[in-house]
Amino acid sequence: MPIVTIDGHPISVEPDTLIIQAADRAGIEIPRFCYHPDLRPEGNCRMCLVHIKGFANLSPACTTPVTDDMVVNTAHQHDQVRQATKGVLEFLLINHPLDCPVCDQAGECSLQDFYLHPDYGLHPSDVDPPEKVRKRKALNLGPIYLDSERCVMCSRCVRFSNEVSGTGELQFVHRGNHVEIEAFEDRALRDPYAGNLADVCPVGALTSRDFRFKRRVWFLRHANSICAGCSTGCNVRIDYAENAIDRVVPRRNPAVNKSWMCDEGRLSYHNLQDLPRLESPLQRTEAGLQPVSWEEAMLLGQEGMRGPYGRVSAVVASAMATNETLWILRQCANSLPTPTEIDFRLQSINPDINAREDHLLRRLDKAPNSRGAMLLGAGAGRGIEAMAQSAEEGKVGVVVILHYPPLVGQDDNARLAAFQRLIRGAAFSVVLTNTVSGWWNGADVVLPVASWSEEEGTFTNFAGITQLTEAALTPPGEARPAWKALRDLLPVGSLSPRLATVEQIFDRGVAVISAFEGLHYATLASREATVYPPEGRKSYGQEGFAGR
Amino acid sequence: MDKKDSQVVDVSVQAMNLGTGVTGMAAGFAVTLKNMVRSVPGRNTVTIQYPEQRKPYSRRFRGVHALTVRPNGQLKCTACFLCATACPAECITIEASAVTDDAIEKVASRYEIDLSRCIFCGFCVDACPEEAIVMTREYDLATHDRMDELQYGISDLTDREEIQAYGAGYRPHMQYPLVESYLPTELPAKPQDDID
Ligand code: SF4
Ligand code: SF4
Ligand code: FES
Repeated sequence: MPIVTIDGHPISVEPDTLIIQAADRAGIEIPRFCYHPDLRPEGNCRMCLVHIKGFANLSPACTTPVTDDMVVNTAHQHDQVRQATKGVLEFLLINHPLDCPVCDQAGECSLQDFYLHPDYGLHPSDVDPPEKVRKRKALNLGPIYLDSERCVMCSRCVRFSNEVSGTGELQFVHRGNHVEIEAFEDRALRDPYAGNLADVCPVGALTSRDFRFKRRVWFLRHANSICAGCSTGCNVRIDYAENAIDRVVPRRNPAVNKSWMCDEGRLSYHNLQDLPRLESPLQRTEAGLQPVSWEEAMLLGQEGMRGPYGRVSAVVASAMATNETLWILRQCANSLPTPTEIDFRLQSINPDINAREDHLLRRLDKAPNSRGAMLLGAGAGRGIEAMAQSAEEGKVGVVVILHYPPLVGQDDNARLAAFQRLIRGAAFSVVLTNTVSGWWNGADVVLPVASWSEEEGTFTNFAGITQLTEAALTPPGEARPAWKALRDLLPVGSLSPRLATVEQIFDRGVAVISAFEGLHYATLASREATVYPPEGRKSYGQEGFAGR
Repeated sequence: MDKKDSQVVDVSVQAMNLGTGVTGMAAGFAVTLKNMVRSVPGRNTVTIQYPEQRKPYSRRFRGVHALTVRPNGQLKCTACFLCATACPAECITIEASAVTDDAIEKVASRYEIDLSRCIFCGFCVDACPEEAIVMTREYDLATHDRMDELQYGISDLTDREEIQAYGAGYRPHMQYPLVESYLPTELPAKPQDDID
């Protein structure tokens, strides 16, 4: 393997690795605009120039592959590189509107960060045009806003729409100072992956309409999560503040979603925010369902689930639930005194977890954990329809239903109708759900549970990759994670030792099952997908606030 | 401290303490006495009839905030949140919204300062790149209610009479004497006895 020396650090990399990739791997920072790890390198911005020993001219690190014994120096070490980088920045800033106060990218903008860099930023401008070139601002392109004046002409967006989403909707027009990004006739973008344009754009030229003026990014808190919009399981970062999600952006994971996610998944948090959330446990009384305390609801649930005997029980699982919740649900099913059927499928046909919806990421199965549910044996029955049939025939005693409405698309009416039939036919029914809706009328106990983004746990995607999702928000009202509620419904002493955290359930329960063998919660947690943006670069200008 | 140690007393230190104690006390009483004599009714009274009478105070006093406006009456604030970022008491709440005006793009549709939490440090004024928020010289904020009456929204920060009555205070980017035309309304001239 070639060994390249960058800024005095010897780095051993595979042949054909680009200098910028080698530097990224070693944690040496090279500024860049046009290079993106998941786009074809183009080398047009000249921000990444480095000095290679023996070469007369500086070379772009993003298009030059390493060779053995290459000696590279970056702006940190080399004066000529520093001068060149400074020059590129200065040119880019000549016509830049400097409107950071109204720009949503401020705080995560490459141009801003590089200008504040101690090595090549903070220079006074030697070019002072009498008038800046003005271009179009705040142009609404559907999911994206275009502000041409802020563009640094890196062409990442053009390459994204040509190479990745394949819609080819963006192109450069005009020449020289007047170059602009344009969508044909300014029509709204019809790319179902257009949201990624705001992420690839290193500056504020393309920003998200959904996030527009919502919050300055430095107020956001982050949680690494997994999109619950389909069985692909894209790695995402939930950006939230004041217990509300402000946006969801992709995290880079070359094995699953590269740096991308679809717009449906990106906006799926709105569906969650729009749900009328169930905030307190309910109990059936003469006057319909009435709020009760958790303790009462639990006592009632435990008592009801111990009898009536002599009939079969039905447990409905959900592929929206985490592996940990499903595992506890299995224990619940096992603990019932009668033979129990458990299933999350409507009929006894296995869901086609792999079926694609398009060429890129989306899959037809709109639940994030169907694979996990299958592996955990939560799809072992004859399907919910068949269980409902038995209930109508009066054969079912206890019914436990766990249900979350999907985050992409609508609730399946056939499924809800089957739930209703189950509840009507059962002698005793417990419902765990996160939403106020009509189908659970008639249930004996209804328990409010936390949704995606409100509880941690693991999902297993279509390909069998088990990934961790962190909690970002606190659940509304008295809602609790479903695994907690289910664990407390189990007869005392049936789980020993008492499982107090998701980690314990995973390590002592889930990981015992052969499909999950060798996995540890702690290593899932530390196996961090790379975050994009800001992709391995530190933000400058933050020190002032951090030290406050 | 050990009990034994505490019994060891250095006499010279004690004498010194006594000396400074006495002189310090004497100096204090001298001030008291002087003012007592001075404020014999009819002579040069130090006490004033507040609130009818007021003392002169600094031109750069950091009092209640005011939001400045553009010539067309629109708020100057573009909701960049730098003031809210700088605020150590976290008492500034802003909501931004878009305007169709291309040159401005973004305005504050809600701007609220919780004066019950504000420590009047003036960091928000320092942080503002556009002098959209300044401080007035208004200081008497007593209310009957600790919460609601001390939440100042956009109209409180632009339209209240007190803003004109007290005039502009802390505005680090402006030259003194002040050009006050940015404030919401034309300000009356202030008495000349102010200390700069
Ligand atoms: S709009 Fe953004 S991504 Fe596209 S060329 Fe300009 S700076 Fe690059
Ligand atoms: S492709 Fe699926 S997992 Fe990925 S973002 Fe879209 S809905 Fe979410
Ligand atoms: S990042 Fe290398 S030329 Fe743009």
